[in-house]
Amino acid sequence: MVKYIINRLILAVPVILGSLTLVFLIIHWLPGDPARMLAGDDHAEDRIQYLQEQLGLNRPLWVQYFTYLWDSMRGDFGHSFANQQPVMDRLLSQLPSTAELAVVSTIFAIITGITLGILSAVYRNRLVDYVIRIVSLFGVSMPKFWLGILLILIFSVHLHLLPAIGNGSFKQVILPAFALGVTGAGILARMVRNSILEVIEDPFVTTLRAKGVTERKVLYLHVLRNALLPSLTIIGVIFVGMLEGAVVTETVFARQGIGKMVVDAIGQKDIPVIQASILICAVFNIVVNLLVDISYSFVDPRVRQQSA
Amino acid sequence: MKLSKRSYQSVILILIAIMLVLAGCGNSSSSSGSSADTNSADAGTPTAGGELVWALAGVVTNDILDAHRTGFAPSTRVMRSIYDSLVVELPDHTFGPWLAESWSLSDDKKSYTFKLRQDVKFHDGTPFNAEAVKFNFDRAVDPATQSYLGKNALGPYVSTDVIDEYTVKVNFSSTFAPFLSNVAKVDLGIVSPAAVKKYGETFPQNPVGTGPFKLGKVVPGTELDLVRNEDYNWAPSGSKHQGPAYLEKLTIKYVAEDATRLSVLQSGQADVADIIPPQNLLALRADSGFNVQETELLQHNYSYYFNQNKEPWNDINVRKAVRAAIDLDSAIKTVYLGTAKQAWSPLSPHSLYYTSTVENTWKYDPDFANKTLDELGWVKGDDGIRVKDGKRLSMEFLDAQGNREKRLDLLAVVTQQLKQVGIELKLLTLPAGTVSERSLKGEYDFAGSSQFYGDPSILRQMYSTKGPSGVNNVARTSDPALEDLLEQANAELDSSKRQELYKKIQEYIIENVYSIPTYVLDYTVASSKKVHDITFDSPAWPVFYDAWIKQ
Repeated sequence: MVKYIINRLILAVPVILGSLTLVFLIIHWLPGDPARMLAGDDHAEDRIQYLQEQLGLNRPLWVQYFTYLWDSMRGDFGHSFANQQPVMDRLLSQLPSTAELAVVSTIFAIITGITLGILSAVYRNRLVDYVIRIVSLFGVSMPKFWLGILLILIFSVHLHLLPAIGNGSFKQVILPAFALGVTGAGILARMVRNSILEVIEDPFVTTLRAKGVTERKVLYLHVLRNALLPSLTIIGVIFVGMLEGAVVTETVFARQGIGKMVVDAIGQKDIPVIQASILICAVFNIVVNLLVDISYSFVDPRVRQQSA
Repeated sequence: MKLSKRSYQSVILILIAIMLVLAGCGNSSSSSGSSADTNSADAGTPTAGGELVWALAGVVTNDILDAHRTGFAPSTRVMRSIYDSLVVELPDHTFGPWLAESWSLSDDKKSYTFKLRQDVKFHDGTPFNAEAVKFNFDRAVDPATQSYLGKNALGPYVSTDVIDEYTVKVNFSSTFAPFLSNVAKVDLGIVSPAAVKKYGETFPQNPVGTGPFKLGKVVPGTELDLVRNEDYNWAPSGSKHQGPAYLEKLTIKYVAEDATRLSVLQSGQADVADIIPPQNLLALRADSGFNVQETELLQHNYSYYFNQNKEPWNDINVRKAVRAAIDLDSAIKTVYLGTAKQAWSPLSPHSLYYTSTVENTWKYDPDFANKTLDELGWVKGDDGIRVKDGKRLSMEFLDAQGNREKRLDLLAVVTQQLKQVGIELKLLTLPAGTVSERSLKGEYDFAGSSQFYGDPSILRQMYSTKGPSGVNNVARTSDPALEDLLEQANAELDSSKRQELYKKIQEYIIENVYSIPTYVLDYTVASSKKVHDITFDSPAWPVFYDAWIKQ
């Protein structure tokens, strides 16, 4: 197991290097000189030159590339072009809020999704099933932006139950987490339902039933354990996808967060901030996928044997 | 999949229920009331204390609150509470004392001498004096400051001399008419020299001024808390009281999303929200639970510019035809629902030296447009778009700002109108960096832009190669006659002569169709009934010094 994890970590190095390089190339390929943009409407040449020197943009591209790789490896992401603050400080100030949102909405998606999926499968082709399937279809296809505004109108303006904006307290994360988590919950519900229905057709279930195991035990002890395996991968994907959804959700609910920060940084061509954020996302992706794979081995002994 | 009849009925019932819930929510934002109170009416004696929560339209980008370093409107609106200016510009465009008690112009009219108040302290306790003023002006023109507007505001600035502890002389290389108006703006607000030295690169996030409020807490990218400056006793002339502000705390939350901003106001999570979209403005005006204040923003109106460096837009007849093809009156009524009126001059109507002589000097006249374009040899092709020498009459419009102030909605209507006479308008929505790069290279035909300012010298920035934006003025105008007028007006200190010059300039710009003014924007502030006496500075940003909450 340890060897497996170490292998995976070694494999992560080229992935990170690759994404660093790709991001560097894309940013520099995009039109727009950051110094010119920082200079604003006043395009005085002396100020643009001053800024280019300050930001190190007048160096040859390969020098910029290797400096950037070397600095990134040492964990030095430099200073934001836009406000000269250390990029690490900015990331750290925004990360907790996005992490809170992503974790709460993933937990919401898992609990709701799996519960609905099981109910849907158990009451297959009955009213409960149809209602759940329609609701999860809504969840998957509803734009987060629209749902967010709808939730604010119902729970904040009309019912005065929950705050519409900001972050800090748990109450403030409920609405955005719901808006963000609904898609994941919908996907999971449909996925869990289908897997259960597939597994339930397997011969071992017939054997279990023939042995006189109760239907309840068959479902919760045997079918579910097998059926949830594919959903685990999806949970990883859903969690990483929350970062993407956070852009919209953070805007609607006026929350702090990485999503909003990256979009602003791209607009301003704040290269150090973009680079650092992409790196964080890449690392995040790798870690989550690793965790998913490790959790596989707990649920499925066959995986454990293979990797050991 | 087989459904029983009963299940069908249930499913349909549930669907209907869901729709009803959704429909109910859709209507909620237009709750109606009876009274149409649009003024912050007198409500007795102001009471001190309390916290006011302001849902700010937009984001203070990177939390930059350095007066000399940012020109973005949301930051500027916030900074008015933190920084004071040497003088204040009153609604009639005259000037009153603020941090300066008096001022005089030298005999050669190139230097201003300011006598400063002697009792003013910065938020960090350091004294405000002549050295501080010198530091501020020198800082605003230093390239290292990355000043966005501060530098433009000082024009032909040469130096500042410290005459004594509380007297400064500001020197220019030539006469500079907009100086007092510029010095009254936040862009030349007075920052604490000690704090700039102490915080260095992080000063923009740690602003220290002399204003009625000082920085409490910053929640990066989300919220700012300003707290009352208890020592404050130097309010500008024109204020309703002296001494510290009434509000104990001013909490500013960045709520860029229109629908959310309205919701936090309506649910009572904010006391004030600004920049209300037209459809909500109508509802709020009719809602007795809220006050709505509407103040004209002094600015260069949002206008469409032709790129003069590109054919066929350098031909005045083509420009006239395009202008005649646009029915701005109906477009503005459709999009702004009667909350905005048509603009006739580049300057907003309450700007200094606005001239009404340009009003109604052109009109929607599709026949004229068609006839002119026919005569110029632009013939309608199969798809209805005109063609000449194999070239289509098509214009590219670059946009990076989205539907701010419903500008893209307006453009959509204009696009349809232009199509009627055979002109194609293509909207290209691109990232800001790409738009900036393409604009610099002149790769566009038609552009839209506005700039808040408050002094007619904004026209030099927008139409002259000698202005601060140089050859990058949006219209790419390079017209010696116009530039000569703009230079004269910039240096002319005699107000009646200056007025005459700006009258000519506005007429000239409209006659030559260098731009097409669109709508006049009112800056709007909606507040709950318990909030009173929010006032406005020049160009129209809110002042919370006199504001108070009825307890």
